[in-house]
Amino acid sequence: MNTLNGIRAIIWKDLASEFRTKELLSSMLIFAVLTIIVFVFAFDPTKDIVRQVFPGMVWVCFLFAGILGLNRSFVSEKTNDCITGLILCPVDRSVIYFGKMTANLIYISIVEIVTLPLFAVLFNYRIPLKAVLPLVLVIFLGSLGFIAVGTFLSALSANARSSEILLPVILFPIMVPVILGAVQASAAVLAMAPAAEWISWIKILAAFDAIFLAIPLVLFEYILEV
Amino acid sequence: MKYDYETPRKWKYHNILAWTAFLTVSAALYLIFMWVPNEKIQGPVSKIIYFHVSSAWLAFFAFFVVMVCSIAYLKTKDLKWDIISHVSAEVGVLFTTIVLVTGPIWGRASWNAWWTWDHRLTTTLILWFIYVAYLMIRSAFNEEEKKARFSAIFGIIGFIDVPIVWMSIRWWRTIHPNIVSSGGFAMDPSMVQTLLASLAAFTVLYFYLLEKGIFVQRIRSQVELLKQRITEENS
Amino acid sequence: MSYLFAAYLAIWILIFAYTLILGRREKQLQEELFLLKKTVGRNKN
Repeated sequence: MNTLNGIRAIIWKDLASEFRTKELLSSMLIFAVLTIIVFVFAFDPTKDIVRQVFPGMVWVCFLFAGILGLNRSFVSEKTNDCITGLILCPVDRSVIYFGKMTANLIYISIVEIVTLPLFAVLFNYRIPLKAVLPLVLVIFLGSLGFIAVGTFLSALSANARSSEILLPVILFPIMVPVILGAVQASAAVLAMAPAAEWISWIKILAAFDAIFLAIPLVLFEYILEV
Repeated sequence: MKYDYETPRKWKYHNILAWTAFLTVSAALYLIFMWVPNEKIQGPVSKIIYFHVSSAWLAFFAFFVVMVCSIAYLKTKDLKWDIISHVSAEVGVLFTTIVLVTGPIWGRASWNAWWTWDHRLTTTLILWFIYVAYLMIRSAFNEEEKKARFSAIFGIIGFIDVPIVWMSIRWWRTIHPNIVSSGGFAMDPSMVQTLLASLAAFTVLYFYLLEKGIFVQRIRSQVELLKQRITEENS
Repeated sequence: MSYLFAAYLAIWILIFAYTLILGRREKQLQEELFLLKKTVGRNKN
């Protein structure tokens, strides 16, 4: 029970400080919307080709906005040496990871809830009603995988000299399966393809999520070692 | 900390290793160019395969060594494991680069396209990025201990990631089949023997480079130690 | 045939470049070590 309380406390702390300043969420949201605008300019929205690259654009937008949030996740704890305070908490180190991870997942979900309808409106893309539920599942699994590795590597790179540059470079190669799986599954779901076509992608995403949620249980304590 | 003024000495068998590497690589070259017959369909270009495949295997082996030594480092906190995994990652990136350079040359010659997004080549490309990231982590930290710890963590998760990358890319390619297929290469027994010989040659080459690299890194840590000592004495 | 030549040329260039870099690193470090040892020896006396 102590573990759950600890996780809840860290999520609460993160959300409280975020909603007081709103610096992270606002910049993530604005950046996401700007990405949409860039895509509109880059690919003429009236062309048919847009329908084919739509899932890819959506995910590029999510990933870029997500990186912004992940970059700050642990770097923000370095001011006033807050990270030492966190380490001193009488809980297992992985509790810190799961708290941070959930907070990041909440941020990226907010960004996704806002930008996905905007994407559909600005590109005049009709998302079939029957596809909504599977799409939500795919987006959730994809974001979970992205945030799970991202939070872990953000804790790792936060100690580096230039963490903002380091994080994307080390994160993207590791999460190739997530990018592939999420984009392919979303495309199949949006095209109303039979479930057999995207169920394997769901499996790959779920396997990736499970593995990269289990790894921090073992390895996260080494990251926070003093 | 104990100060060890002994200059790191070369391994006793360093020269023997160097000569073995030289001789086995020459022998493999002889087999490839003088002895083994050309593959019937592809002609002389098929001879690229011997070193291409050997370096792919050795790259994979090198990254496996990185993971094992990373785990050993996290368990023991002995910097010697860190040195081995660093050097092994460097040599692994070298071999991966060889695969990535020879792959397209072979592809261009035998199916007229420099790059195909075939699952082996694509996974190798991702592998290259993962271990370049590993080397970048190493250069992003100043303190020895942090550098060793964080790169060891990344060395472990990078290797765990490889099978997932491989599976997802394979699945991706089965949905979008290649126009040109990269499979099918009827191997004559003499070709298998040549391949095994070049694999052996590259294995010796790997250990030679590893040994040399470790020696250089040991001198480097000695230099760092002395510098630290001098600053302490002067302050 | 020229492709075969190009491939093996690339392999050798890569391997030799790496060995050369290693050798140069070693030489520089050896020189640095030598200098440092001299400094430490002087400080001792």
